[in-house]
Amino acid sequence: MPIQILQGTLDLMILRTLATMGPQHAYGIANRLQQVSEDALNLNQGTIYPALVRIEQHGWTRGSWGKTENNREAKYYTITRAGLKALKEETESWRQMAGVVEKLLAEEQ
Amino acid sequence: MAHRKRIIAKLRNLVTNKRAEEDLAREVESHLTLLADDFKSRGMSPEEARLAARRAYGGVEQAKQAHRDERSLLWIEQTMQDLRYGLRTLSRSPGFTITAVLTLALGIGACTAIFSVVNAVLIRSLPYGDSSRLVYLYTPVLQFKLPAEVFGPAYADLHDLKQESRSFQDMTTFGQSVFSLASQGAAERVSAARVDGDFFRTFQSAPELGREISPDDNQLGHEKVAVISHALWQSMFGSATDVLHRSLLLDGKNYQIVGVMPQGFEYPHSTDLAYGESQYTTTQVWIPLALTPQQMADRDNSRGNAVGRLKPGVSIAQAQAEMAAIMTRLDKLHPQAHGWGAFVKNFVDSTVGHVRSLLWLLLGAVSFVLLIACGNAANLLLARAASRMRELGVRVALGAGRSRITRQLLTEALLIGVAAGAIGIGLAFSFLRLLPLLDPGNIPRLREASLDTRVLLFTLTISLLTSVLTGVFPALAVSRINLTDFLATTGIRSVVGAHTRVQSALIVVESALVVVLLASAGLFLRSYINVESVDTGFSQSTVTLNIGLDPRYSPPQAAEFFRSLFARLQALPGVETVGAVSSLPLSNSEDLRMFAVDGYPNQKSQLAEASWATPNYFSARIPLIAGRLFTADEKPGSQTIIINQSFARKYFAGRNPIGGRVSRQDDPTRWSTVVGVIGDVRLTSLEKPAEPQIYHPDMEFGGGYIAVRSSLPAKSLAATIRTILHSLDPNLAASDTQTMSELESEASAPRRFQTSLLTFFAAIALFLALVGLYGLMAYSVSRRTREVGIRIALGAQRTDVLLLILKKAASLLAVGLVSGQIAENPVDNGPRCLYVAWEVRGLDHKNRIRTLRHRYRFRRFSLVSAGTTQLQSCPSVLCSRSPA
Repeated sequence: MPIQILQGTLDLMILRTLATMGPQHAYGIANRLQQVSEDALNLNQGTIYPALVRIEQHGWTRGSWGKTENNREAKYYTITRAGLKALKEETESWRQMAGVVEKLLAEEQ
Repeated sequence: MAHRKRIIAKLRNLVTNKRAEEDLAREVESHLTLLADDFKSRGMSPEEARLAARRAYGGVEQAKQAHRDERSLLWIEQTMQDLRYGLRTLSRSPGFTITAVLTLALGIGACTAIFSVVNAVLIRSLPYGDSSRLVYLYTPVLQFKLPAEVFGPAYADLHDLKQESRSFQDMTTFGQSVFSLASQGAAERVSAARVDGDFFRTFQSAPELGREISPDDNQLGHEKVAVISHALWQSMFGSATDVLHRSLLLDGKNYQIVGVMPQGFEYPHSTDLAYGESQYTTTQVWIPLALTPQQMADRDNSRGNAVGRLKPGVSIAQAQAEMAAIMTRLDKLHPQAHGWGAFVKNFVDSTVGHVRSLLWLLLGAVSFVLLIACGNAANLLLARAASRMRELGVRVALGAGRSRITRQLLTEALLIGVAAGAIGIGLAFSFLRLLPLLDPGNIPRLREASLDTRVLLFTLTISLLTSVLTGVFPALAVSRINLTDFLATTGIRSVVGAHTRVQSALIVVESALVVVLLASAGLFLRSYINVESVDTGFSQSTVTLNIGLDPRYSPPQAAEFFRSLFARLQALPGVETVGAVSSLPLSNSEDLRMFAVDGYPNQKSQLAEASWATPNYFSARIPLIAGRLFTADEKPGSQTIIINQSFARKYFAGRNPIGGRVSRQDDPTRWSTVVGVIGDVRLTSLEKPAEPQIYHPDMEFGGGYIAVRSSLPAKSLAATIRTILHSLDPNLAASDTQTMSELESEASAPRRFQTSLLTFFAAIALFLALVGLYGLMAYSVSRRTREVGIRIALGAQRTDVLLLILKKAASLLAVGLVSGQIAENPVDNGPRCLYVAWEVRGLDHKNRIRTLRHRYRFRRFSLVSAGTTQLQSCPSVLCSRSPA
């Protein structure tokens, strides 16, 4: 059973992907997410578009057109310094959140 | 921080949206290509790969829409959509749109126009610093039973008040004079103020050029200086900068110009002073008052006007108390009359107080008009919403949110409202162009009414308000769509009931409002007719002009001047009589004198209007009741007088006035004999009964009014008189020549102003209400075509059908009219001052109003019913002709 994406976590995942892999196009990001989740994250690739435009508007990424290895044109997203800072903050708050949830669940058992 | 960045990005997207859209399409395309490449590399055929890519990608359009929603300001985007859609739907039904827009435009235009007047007169602050601290000071003597405003403080009293009072920051006194101002060979009459050294400081107004009139200028021997108005600077000196080196010739005397006041300062205006120089609307020249030692010591004569500026924090009541205490002490110093009191009056109230209630009343009337217009527009929108119910129902069924549809309808109303606002501003603009024609002369700064920012903001606000008001009814109706019912009945019947109830209510309210408006308009109209039909007591075609001789003329020279003037005028062909008098009827000037009557229990305070008149003056068709008129050989000092009917009735009741004796109270031994009684002439106002009047033949040669009765056209006669005057003395200016009918028209102008405006608005309201009622009936008839068809098919007569429809209209009207009558009562009991003319003919005030009102009610009723019935028969007839 594929899992649903938690509200707001997609932004974090995209930022992380860009920070790790460097400039990437939407397809690359979607592929990466699928690989990492070992296909547990079942998302239509179009689903990441709102997240892409959102983080771009926040100024966390910058988009520019470029060529792929196979000489196809694609829009590459590069993480900005503000993006790195946001990634750090978001990661921290996710960790805290996850920790709290994890702790709660452990106690319940 | 990041949030703000996003909003900026979204706002920027409003402009760059097209590029973002292209970018997105390109990005999606490249994404799909990359996906397909991938699938191909796994061994799929190009076609298979393309399809697989599509599957992996998901809905392309959904992704794009999600992208759009995310990148743009959703509500703006939707509003733009609504606007586009609204414009499209509105332009598809131009008849509806034009009716709705014009209806609202009439209401908004009327409101804007009146508000711009209210803004100019009541809201815009006076240009005298903090004018709420300005007050007029009077020293009324109660026993004379005259208005307090007659009694300006005597100079000595004012001087002491200035010294002793602690309530005032500044205090000034000034008088008014009319001068012949020589300019380029011709002469014109200007109104000037003689001011003391504190005048400009009290008004906190400084010249834009040069200096003000100082206390030093008020020293005798230094008084030949003048400050001129901006308008005079422009008209006479072409705004020359060297004006301060020039001088003015006033009544033949040279005055050095020392200052130019800025535009907007022309105090005192004719509307400022209750007993001021009312012929000239503004003051153009200020010169020093320069009192002589005798004048400064004078306590006997109440003279001039006094204005004070209260110290901050001092109330009018405190100032009044202090001034009263000082006046009690000063009263003992008065050599002759006693009983001088104190009265401190709010300056702003004196200036605009008398028109405040009128303006608010007019604004109330136009807001009624606007409400009626709103009702109409709402009704139109409702009717249209009903016919669009299917479209809207389908949209709801397809999942459009109710709020989204409500918003759509409100947007349409907004479009109508904004268009109406724009046209309304145009209407108001043309109204303001016409306003000077209606100028009643008693509304200060009326001509300064303009469409400034405040007025435009007001218009914008009422446009938006009316949009919401008109849009909210259809929106509510639509939000009540019951989807199940809609689908079951194709959605028409379910909403009709609710609709017509709201529509009927609107019609009822509209007709009630119309009744209130018509009632007030009828009342005003009746007052106006009363005033117009007053017998003014003189011939209308008489041409009059005011001549003031300046002090260059010694009394014998002046007498010679007038003798030759009369002779020249009398010699003109077509001229019947030439007379002269000191106070012209309706010129709002009067000279009150205390007198004693032989054989009458004389009161200390009895007053009569006293004037001198040449023998021929009375032949300008003032009727002689008894005795004789003055004759040509009536020498000055001959101790003969003529009295009017009111005088005779009051002081010679039951006696023959001819031969009776009257004396001046200050000289009780010199009796004058009454030789004639003439008809009453109203000197001050058409709306006040004539006062007792005394005429004596002793012409005072300083000047007066010349009255010429002739068969010549007034214009050419006036021109001839000017030529004659110029040939006698080129430096002499006569005031504007006027015929008596013009004077009369001027005197009734205030009433004409309020009456014509109110009647006009009532007419618009009636028209709008009729249109509204017609619209509703036409609409409901069109909805009932099928029903009517069935009725006729089943044998109903056409008249039955007609009756059925008329009955509904009649019942709506009846409810509206009755509630209007009820609502109208407080209006009748409202500002009584606005229709005082009932007393003109000495009839019992209350009774008269009552009888008139009854008569008007019937007329009104028949008017409204007749009008609407007529209109309604159109749709009814149409309907009864519908093929069965």
